[in-house]
Amino acid sequence: MKFDIIIIGGGLSGLTAGIALAEAGKDVALVSAGQSSLHFGSGSLDLLGCDEKGNDIYNPLDAIKEVNSKHPYNKLENVSSLAGMAKQLLERAGIATTGNATSNHWRITPIGGLMPTWLSMEGMATVEDPNQMPWRKVALVNIVNYLDFPTKFLAAGLRDKGVEVDIKAVTLPELQELRKSPTEMRATNIAKVIGNNDLTAKLADQVNSVAGEDYDMVLLPAVLGMTNDKNSKHLLELIKTPAQFVATLPPSVPGVRMQTMLRRRFTALGGTFFTGDQVTEGLFEDNILKGVKTAKLDGTTLESDNFILATGSFMSRGLRADYNHVYETALGVDVDDLGLDRKTWAKIDVTDAQPYMEMGVKTDENLRCMRNGTTISNLYAAGSILSGHNSIKRLDAGGVDMLTALQAANNIIK
Amino acid sequence: MANETQTQNVSVNNFEQCLKCSICTVYCPVSAVSPEYPGPKQAGPDAERYRLKNKEFFDDALKMCLNCKRCEVACPNDVHIGDIIQAARIKYNTHRPKLRDMMLANTDFVGTMASPFAAIANPILKLKPMKAVLHGVMAIDKHRTFPDYSSRKFESWFKKNAASEQEKFNKHVSYFHGCYVNYNYPQLGMDFVKVMNAVGYGVHLLEKEKCCGVALIANGMPKQAKRQGEVNMTSMRKAIAKGHQVLTTSSTCTFTMRDEYDHLLGIDNHDVRDSISLATRFLFQLIEKGEIKLAFREDYHKRVAYHSACHMERMGWAPYSTRLLRMIPDIDFVMLESQCCGISGTYGFKKENYERSQAIGKGLFDQIKEVTPDCVATDCETCKWQIEMSTGTPVMNPISIIAEALDVETTRKLNKLD
Ligand code: SF4
Ligand code: SF4
Repeated sequence: MKFDIIIIGGGLSGLTAGIALAEAGKDVALVSAGQSSLHFGSGSLDLLGCDEKGNDIYNPLDAIKEVNSKHPYNKLENVSSLAGMAKQLLERAGIATTGNATSNHWRITPIGGLMPTWLSMEGMATVEDPNQMPWRKVALVNIVNYLDFPTKFLAAGLRDKGVEVDIKAVTLPELQELRKSPTEMRATNIAKVIGNNDLTAKLADQVNSVAGEDYDMVLLPAVLGMTNDKNSKHLLELIKTPAQFVATLPPSVPGVRMQTMLRRRFTALGGTFFTGDQVTEGLFEDNILKGVKTAKLDGTTLESDNFILATGSFMSRGLRADYNHVYETALGVDVDDLGLDRKTWAKIDVTDAQPYMEMGVKTDENLRCMRNGTTISNLYAAGSILSGHNSIKRLDAGGVDMLTALQAANNIIK
Repeated sequence: MANETQTQNVSVNNFEQCLKCSICTVYCPVSAVSPEYPGPKQAGPDAERYRLKNKEFFDDALKMCLNCKRCEVACPNDVHIGDIIQAARIKYNTHRPKLRDMMLANTDFVGTMASPFAAIANPILKLKPMKAVLHGVMAIDKHRTFPDYSSRKFESWFKKNAASEQEKFNKHVSYFHGCYVNYNYPQLGMDFVKVMNAVGYGVHLLEKEKCCGVALIANGMPKQAKRQGEVNMTSMRKAIAKGHQVLTTSSTCTFTMRDEYDHLLGIDNHDVRDSISLATRFLFQLIEKGEIKLAFREDYHKRVAYHSACHMERMGWAPYSTRLLRMIPDIDFVMLESQCCGISGTYGFKKENYERSQAIGKGLFDQIKEVTPDCVATDCETCKWQIEMSTGTPVMNPISIIAEALDVETTRKLNKLD
């Protein structure tokens, strides 16, 4: 099967590139092995949140100038304009966000911390300055028996910042039904139950009855709106006090929504999505990738002029390690293992910055991959599979995913 | 040594690969509408550990699984969750199937009985008192309309009207028509013959064809499914020996015979599997290789919304059908978001499942109503019943759309048949 561009990987990075290229009129195919790490998303995307020492960054665009020479941001032509394009691309997919590249804002983590971030989906609770909380008194309203929203941690975190917090709980009979199978009372199932039974208004009544006007903010778990933002928006409108959502533990409803809406946009633009399939082999001729084979399309080669590899890092199985090597799983392109001795790949303390996190595929200045030391002229890499960054330490995952994808798309269109 | 240990650590159906991310739960159509269902992660890899220790841990709620495999498609770690669940049902379930389930499962037996009496059976099955009896005695939901039984089986039509012309062609395929084409909707089989003949392929029936067995697996009759599967494999081997591909027009039959035979029923199909294909895929591949050409009528317009049936999604083959359909010049093509329609073969026919079945499909029905297509295209026959009943929109197999849009004369010329 022949396409203009084939993208391997269906997460944030692959979909961003896919949408950008389809918007440019290309015939794009995307091969995705299972769902992506957006399902663990927070509803926010980070550009650059922390400096080398772990301190919060206020102006990511400025700070990006200081990243070390291996960081993928060095391969972007114009960070500021790409960041603007990323926000607009989300918007065209129906995902409205607050935030910009010149000033971070802070999101509230499910366990009550504040994290610097770049873009947050509308409706998510954020603060402009971590040292100056905008609320005096907050009602933290959970759903009875819902365990993935640890209210006590959250309350403690907010109280630390000088906010007065009351913990409340509401429920509806339909939601308590979910408890019949205790493992299944998850954010996404709650979202489905609320959506299927039109419970938004009833839920709003419940919230209004426990959180009256003496609160200046109501914080709720993000458990509404898996496929669009209709219900989540509607709920916030119906609540009489200002109200916002806080991300829950995974699976994340805002993350699933982002994934669903991006995929919807890609498909509506005519993109072809190969679901639940895996690239097993690349057909290379000299320094060109001619086509790829997949696990399920036996007998068919997917061919195209250009390819983008966006399969993610270790967690998404774009990279794997055996006892002695780190390798790239789909096409076997060259990996930069930083020349580290096996014993120094990981630090014993799991909370330390892990050296292996910076491993990834090698690329030239145009984000093109290499194989046995030779650059492949039509194979680009994008997103967290790129070497040279640690998204946990520097909080740069969303930016690396989207901006390198847009850059790779630009490089191809040029 | 260490390397060897690592590479040899292979678990049945990859269940040890589960990293407990719960992504499968997000996409399970049952777990949200039926809280009593433990959900794929719990019913699959989690509970499998317990079941391996003691069969007492087998939970009857597992029969609520639709075997749609949407959990498998979503799993980022290639855990065969649906297979784990179905294998557990086969291994540990001790209940004998009810009469109703046996009837629903034996699609070909019931079809054989009903077809000669179609003129009588169809109206009777639609009568309120009959529906009440089915609902009350048989626990077949009264909202359901049985798909009409055709008065003439596809096989009879084929033998009388088409068989003799097939030898004239230089190239040949065998056709596994399935129960649905044979008893309920012979038109699809006729459309298939029309398209294949137009591109220069003669069509042949298998020496012996049995129901693929998907409904038997779902209704707890794996032994009978296995017997039928063996018959199909024997017939297919003979066809393959003559150089035929075996084509179907049903994604579910294809999936069952290619994958479930081996994974669930223990039928050795390794020498047959690659020769079983879906007609849309076969055509697409030949067109791509330049071996055949299709020409379409210039006056053919249609707004078509494609629905990826669950097993089509699991096979990963939807793009073959959609790219084939998009070759029709004036087609207004819309890709529906992939969701289960809720019928899952015979599942939605059962009284205890009716409401659940409709709740599962709601998202899809709403989407279809919004898109307002002239027809919905899908490769699965049971989706057709469900979608037509629930939305009123006609549903067509892609092969029927191709047949309708085809300019037969020009196509024959392009393929040098005239
Ligand atoms: S999606 Fe796969 S890895 Fe995740 S919990 Fe389900 S079976 Fe386990
Ligand atoms: S096969 Fe379908 S119904 Fe069964 S657990 Fe998986 S997703 Fe749920």
